[in-house]
Amino acid sequence: MNRREFLGGAAALAASTFVEQSSATKLPASDQVNLAIIGPGSRGQQLMRTFLRVPGVRFAALCDIYEPRFDQARRITGENTRAFKDYRELLSAKDIDAIIVSTPLSLHSEHVTAVLDSGHHVYGEKSMALTVEECGQMRDAVKKSGKHYQIGLQYHYAPWYREAIRLITSGKIGQVTQIYAYWHRNNSWRRPVPNNDPKLERLINWRLYREFSGGLVAELGSHHINFANEVFGGIPESVVGSGGVDFWKDGRETADNVQVTYRYPGGKTLFFSAITTNRFVGCQVQVCGTGGTIVVTEADGTYYYEPKLGASAVPEGLAVEHGVVTGASYKAELPYRGQGRSLTVPAGRQGNPDFLACNSFIESIRKNQRPKADEQVAWNCGVTVALGNYAIDHDARVKFADHVHG
Amino acid sequence: MVLGSNSRNNGFLAGSLCFAFLFCHAARGQSSVLQLFSESRPAMGTTFTIYLYAPERATADAEFDSAFDEIERIEEALSNYRPSSELSRINRLAATAATTTDPEVFDLLQTSFDYSRRSDGAFDITVGPLMRAWGFFRKNGHYPTRAELSRARASVGWKRVELDPQQRTIKFNAPGMELDLGGIGKGYAVDRVIDVLREAGVKSALVDAGSSTLYALGAPPGKEGWKVVVPRPGDRSHGISEVLLRNNSLSTSGSYEKFFRLNGKTFCHIMDPRTGEPVQGMLQTTVIAPSGTATDALSTTMFVMGFAAGSKLLESMPNTSAIWVASSTNESHIEQWHWSGRLCQSTGDCGATGEGNSTR
Repeated sequence: MNRREFLGGAAALAASTFVEQSSATKLPASDQVNLAIIGPGSRGQQLMRTFLRVPGVRFAALCDIYEPRFDQARRITGENTRAFKDYRELLSAKDIDAIIVSTPLSLHSEHVTAVLDSGHHVYGEKSMALTVEECGQMRDAVKKSGKHYQIGLQYHYAPWYREAIRLITSGKIGQVTQIYAYWHRNNSWRRPVPNNDPKLERLINWRLYREFSGGLVAELGSHHINFANEVFGGIPESVVGSGGVDFWKDGRETADNVQVTYRYPGGKTLFFSAITTNRFVGCQVQVCGTGGTIVVTEADGTYYYEPKLGASAVPEGLAVEHGVVTGASYKAELPYRGQGRSLTVPAGRQGNPDFLACNSFIESIRKNQRPKADEQVAWNCGVTVALGNYAIDHDARVKFADHVHG
Repeated sequence: MVLGSNSRNNGFLAGSLCFAFLFCHAARGQSSVLQLFSESRPAMGTTFTIYLYAPERATADAEFDSAFDEIERIEEALSNYRPSSELSRINRLAATAATTTDPEVFDLLQTSFDYSRRSDGAFDITVGPLMRAWGFFRKNGHYPTRAELSRARASVGWKRVELDPQQRTIKFNAPGMELDLGGIGKGYAVDRVIDVLREAGVKSALVDAGSSTLYALGAPPGKEGWKVVVPRPGDRSHGISEVLLRNNSLSTSGSYEKFFRLNGKTFCHIMDPRTGEPVQGMLQTTVIAPSGTATDALSTTMFVMGFAAGSKLLESMPNTSAIWVASSTNESHIEQWHWSGRLCQSTGDCGATGEGNSTR
C-alpha cells in the first residue's frame, strides 16, 4: 500500500507543526509528492521554488495560457516538465497529488473547484475568490470533496505572527480594541509588458483590472485582514471604504489607494490602508491593546509597553512602612514607548513564512491532516476582502449580515 | 523628469537617482524616442543602480520595479543576515541533516564550489568563521588568538560540505560551518536582473551592484558600449583603465574598503581561505567575463591568487580578462591578462569624478 492508497482511508487530524524540516535522504519513494501548478507567473514561480525546498517534492506538470511561462517554470524545476495550455487536460493526469492554483483572482473559483472535483488537493493563492458568492461555493466544494485546501496566506505561518497571536491571546497587551494595518508602497504596482505589446497588458497586469482583480485590498490587505480576523475571532459586522485611481492615471481600473474600516463585534476596529506613492509606513500591523501594542511587519514583531502605571494593588509594606526614598530627579526625558522588545521566536521555530506554509501543506498531504489555513480561514478572509471592495465601489456602509451567511 | 536632451556625447553618467537623456532610436519593434532612466535602491548590503533606455517613464518605472523585485527575491534567498532567507535555513540545518533546497540555490552552491575546486580553495564560501575570528563581521578588526584561529579553521573548508545533486541536499561535515555568498551573490543577482530586463524587451541597460559588479546589456544608442573606469585603488577620482562593456560583466575587488592596521601592517577583509589570514600585497583586481556571477567570484579569486597563479587559472576560462594592482614596499604595479581596456596614461586622462561608471 503506497501513501496515496493509505491516505485515501485515513482521517488523522493533527496540529500543524510549523517547523523547518531538513532530513531528505531517508524519504521512501511513496513519500514523494508530485505537484502541478496552474498559473506559474511571478507569484506562482516563487511558490514553485519554495515547494522545491521541501524534501521529496517534484513538479510533474504545469499549465498556463501564456507560453513564455513554460520555459521560465522549467528553469525553476530544472527539468523538461510537462506543460499544458488547457487546465482541463492537466486535471486528468494520474500522477499528481496536489495542484497549486496561482491564477488571477477572478479565476480562483473556477480553477480550485475543478481541481477539487478532479480529486486533487489544492494550494490556492489568496484571496479566496473575487465575490462573496464564489467564496461560499468554494468552501462548499472543499467540504464536499474531502480534499485538503490551503489558502496562500503565508503569514498565517510566520513564526513572529504566531508568537504575536500567542501573546495577544495570553493577555499580554490587555484587551485589543483597534488594529491599524498598512501596506504602503512607492511604485506603480505595474509589471513590465514584454515589448510594450498592448495585447499582453491585461494578461501581465491583471491586478490593475477589476474584471480579474480585487486590487490592493485583495492582493495586499488580505494578509492583514486575515490576521485581524484571527485576533478578533471571526469576520467583521460592517465596513466602510474609500479609494480611487488618483495618482497612477495610466488606464488602470483598480484603485491606487484604498482605506477600509471594518467594525467587528464589540466595537473592535480594523483600519487598513494601502497607498502606492509613499512607503514611509511600509508594511505593518499595529495591534492596540489596553496594556500595550504589538507591531508585526513582513520580517519581525515587536512589543511596546503602554506607559500607564499603577494598575495593580501595592502592598502597604512597599510604600508606607519602608517609606519613599528621596533623591535628585533629573533624568533625560524618558521615551514615550522606548525601542520596543522584539518578539522572540523559539529555537527551531524560525523560518521563512513561504517555506513554512509550503512545508505545512506537504505535511498535510503526507499525514492527511487539515491545513491550518483551511477553507474556513480562507472564507473568513475572502468575504472580508470582497465586502471591503464592495464598500469602496458603492461608497456605502456595508453590513456583513446582508451578504454572508455562516 | 528629463534633465538632458539630444545628447550625442553622453559617455558619462552622473550618480543622481533619476534622470533621462533622449535618443531617437528604433527599438522594440517600433521607432520610438528612447530616454535614459536611472534608479538606485539599497539592497544586499550596498546600493544597486540600474540605468536603462525606455520610451517613457511609466515603462521605465515598471521595469525598475520588476528588476528591484528580482534583487529582493535573490536577497531573500541568499542573505546570511536575514533569518528568513533560504541560505540561513541551510546554515541552521545542514550541520545536523542533509538539507534540501531548490534547484536555483543548489546550482549556485554548485557553481561556488566549482570555483573552489578550480582555484584550489582560493575561492571559498565557507570562509565566514575566519571573517568572524578576524572581526570583519562586526567592524572590529583584530588579530585573532591562536585558539580563535584554530577554532575558525576547523569550521572552514569547501571540501567539508557535501552536495548531493540527486537529492539537491547540502550537508556540513564539520561543526560550526556556514555558507556566505558575499563573494558571488551580488554578481548572481546582477545576472538575474539582466534576465528580467531582457524578458521585458530592454535592449540597453547597465546594472551596477554597489559599483563592484556591473553588467552591460547592449550599448547606449549610437555607442560601442557602456564606458566603465577602473579607478586607482582607493582613489575614485583617477582611473587606471577605461573599458567599454557590451553584453559582459566587470567586477572589482579591493583591499581599501574594509581593513585594519596593526603594528604598521594592514590587514584587509579579503581572506585567503588556504592560510586563514587576510591577503597581503594585493590592492585591487578587476575581472571582465561573460556573467556577473563569474566576475564577482573571479575578482575575489584573482585577488587571493595573485597574477601568476590567477592568470594560469584564467587560461581555462574563455572570454575572461583581468587586471591586478599589487603593492610591494611603497610601490604599486599593474599586471594584465588579456586586458582589452585602454590604460590611462596620466592624471586626468580618464576617470575624473563624474566621468564614466567607476568600479571598485
